[in-house]
Amino acid sequence: MTPLARRDFLKSAALLGGAIGLGLPTVAHGFSTDGVRVYRPETGDAQPKSLRILILGGTGFIGPYQVQYALDRKHKVTLFNRGKTNATLFPKVPRLIGDRNLPDGHDALKKGTWDVVIDNPTANPKWVRGAGEALKGRVGQYMFVSTISVFSDNSKPVDENGPLNTPSDIEATFNAQAYGSNKVRSEMEAKTQFGENVTIVRPGLIVGPGDLSDRFSYWPVRIDKGGEILAPGTPNDPVQYVDALDLSQWIVRLGESHTLGTFNATGPKTPTTIAEMLYGIKAVTTSDAKFTWVPAEFLAEKQVRAWSEMPVWVPPAGRTAGFARVICQKAYDAGLTFRPLADTAKDTLTWYHARPAAEQEKARAGLAPDKEKTVLAEWHAKSGK
Amino acid sequence: MSAISTPPLQPKKLRILVLGGTGYIGPHLVEHALSRGHTITLFNRGQTKPGLFPKVEKLIGDRDKPDGHAALKGRKWDVVYDLPTGKPKWIVDAAAVLKGNVGQYVFVSSTAAYKDFTASYPTEEFPTQVPAPIEGPEAATAQYGPRKVRCEMLVREAYQTATVVRPGLIVGPGDLTDRFTYWPVRIERGGEILAPGKLDDPAQWIDVRDLTEWMVRLGENSTGGTFNAVGPRTVCGIGELLFGIKACYSNDARFTWVPEAFLTQQKVRSWGDMPVWSFTGATTVAFCTSVIEKAKAAGLTFRTLEETVRAAMTWYHSRPAVEQEKLRAGISPEREREVLALWHAQQSGGK
Repeated sequence: MTPLARRDFLKSAALLGGAIGLGLPTVAHGFSTDGVRVYRPETGDAQPKSLRILILGGTGFIGPYQVQYALDRKHKVTLFNRGKTNATLFPKVPRLIGDRNLPDGHDALKKGTWDVVIDNPTANPKWVRGAGEALKGRVGQYMFVSTISVFSDNSKPVDENGPLNTPSDIEATFNAQAYGSNKVRSEMEAKTQFGENVTIVRPGLIVGPGDLSDRFSYWPVRIDKGGEILAPGTPNDPVQYVDALDLSQWIVRLGESHTLGTFNATGPKTPTTIAEMLYGIKAVTTSDAKFTWVPAEFLAEKQVRAWSEMPVWVPPAGRTAGFARVICQKAYDAGLTFRPLADTAKDTLTWYHARPAAEQEKARAGLAPDKEKTVLAEWHAKSGK
Repeated sequence: MSAISTPPLQPKKLRILVLGGTGYIGPHLVEHALSRGHTITLFNRGQTKPGLFPKVEKLIGDRDKPDGHAALKGRKWDVVYDLPTGKPKWIVDAAAVLKGNVGQYVFVSSTAAYKDFTASYPTEEFPTQVPAPIEGPEAATAQYGPRKVRCEMLVREAYQTATVVRPGLIVGPGDLTDRFTYWPVRIERGGEILAPGKLDDPAQWIDVRDLTEWMVRLGENSTGGTFNAVGPRTVCGIGELLFGIKACYSNDARFTWVPEAFLTQQKVRSWGDMPVWSFTGATTVAFCTSVIEKAKAAGLTFRTLEETVRAAMTWYHSRPAVEQEKLRAGISPEREREVLALWHAQQSGGK
């Protein structure tokens, strides 16, 4: 961010504070009922200074949301990727080509200066090094999309200072399985390469249209289908997720405000339960869905796996007691906002039904229909309900 | 997702008489019937919203007057919808003019027709209240339920094809009771919310548009009989309702579930203070557990809860500020805070 833009930002922040204190109406910015700033960029948010934004990747799941939002906000966007994934997306956006696995894969980045670089796809720390060496000295802010999988201890809620996994060895052969360790090393490498000008965003489960993991999507699709549904654990078990759109737009805004630092980034903003999520999804359908809550112990006994077969959910006990209670207050204070679950659920269903039939049938996550029936029957037999 | 099943084929054009038609559910019914190509006649005093439906034929009469139904004489209709009637005398006087001239008479009754409001899962066969007399001093003082029961009987006697619809809580645009509306308004405001009882405690309501669109279909299909008419489609708990409404918003709303015993001790009442909610043994349970299989078999369908919430709130926000501030149902904000504080105090005292 240039000094001028930064001054404007600070000035507007001061105005906002004053408006709260004096109880004056605020025009350009909206506030939620609890006084936290709500971005409504479509309706009169001051136009930010146009930034030169380089997006590494940008054609996968969350990238396109960033690109679209950045374009809507009149930034100059350049993409850098292999030119293979969704190659026809954003035909008017300049594209630099490179394969980050190749020795000279980052050569295309050796010229040009950028206010903001957003590094989306990186799990391999060597990619961060490659980008850093190619871009060195010509980047105002490097934003690295990490993950809450960096944390080593899920037994209790953690903020950004929670204990991390052992970083992987950047010189060793890349092991994609060591996802969390790779991300920890990548975060470290980002700071090595870009010093202070780094923003690390650690999302939890990212959901919504474009999500090929089918994890969140399992629930709207299953509920829309109706009938008796196996619901995991107790209605009060906590869940966390973040809509790809909310996450992506916030990331762009972090660039606009030149916000540095590390942020856990999942939602919703207030503690949310699996029952709130499932009934919330049901509210956008006309389905006859009926939930049967089956305790975690019984699910474990029947080898119904948390997270993969019962997506979004993990038992809130023992090693995973804090898994769905990650503390994200810092991100909320830095402007991460959330659209209503109803919107996420509707958009997800619309997107899902537009996918090819073969993809719809082969969901990557969730419980197979036969197994669901069997486990429900076994639970009814055991519980006598 | 949202599959409102209106039969695709254009039905036979009906001549429809609507008694009332300008209150809460009337305009929804008229609008839908017009959209289906039917010809409508309205009959009322011409006092409530007289500017509504300027192109629709209007007959004027005051049903409390001796010759109040005279305007209906000598006319024929395929279907009559009697929306506002709570007085058996109105049915008698209408029948004196309409009997033999109408194909079907659809009467809007109420779940309050049932004798025992504490009985769960009433079907249409459940015992009803002792019917109120038609005339005399006792008729004037009779309760709503007994009057509706007498009206139902008179309708069945007078018309070969009689349809009695017993709705539960009718909600959505135009609802001046604010009972359903309380919840989205409260949730929209955010913060800590007093939520009653247990997630599975029963809750029922019906979107005024689902009800009236179905009533038009009952006319198109000449369906007679008595029907409970409420939703949602499946047995529903207050948790499902509140969580569903919350999904329409994004704020810091969070629920504190306070057991029924504590609420009762604090004189926080089901329905009045905590609308839509009931619990086993409460004197409101029949309103929240009506069996609706018969209505569903006769074509009653349901919008999504989200659509109901959005429409109800769009309408609510269009009301004058004074009305928006003073809801006619639901616990007051001050009392809610008080009860929550007492509940938290009791909880921490017990630890």
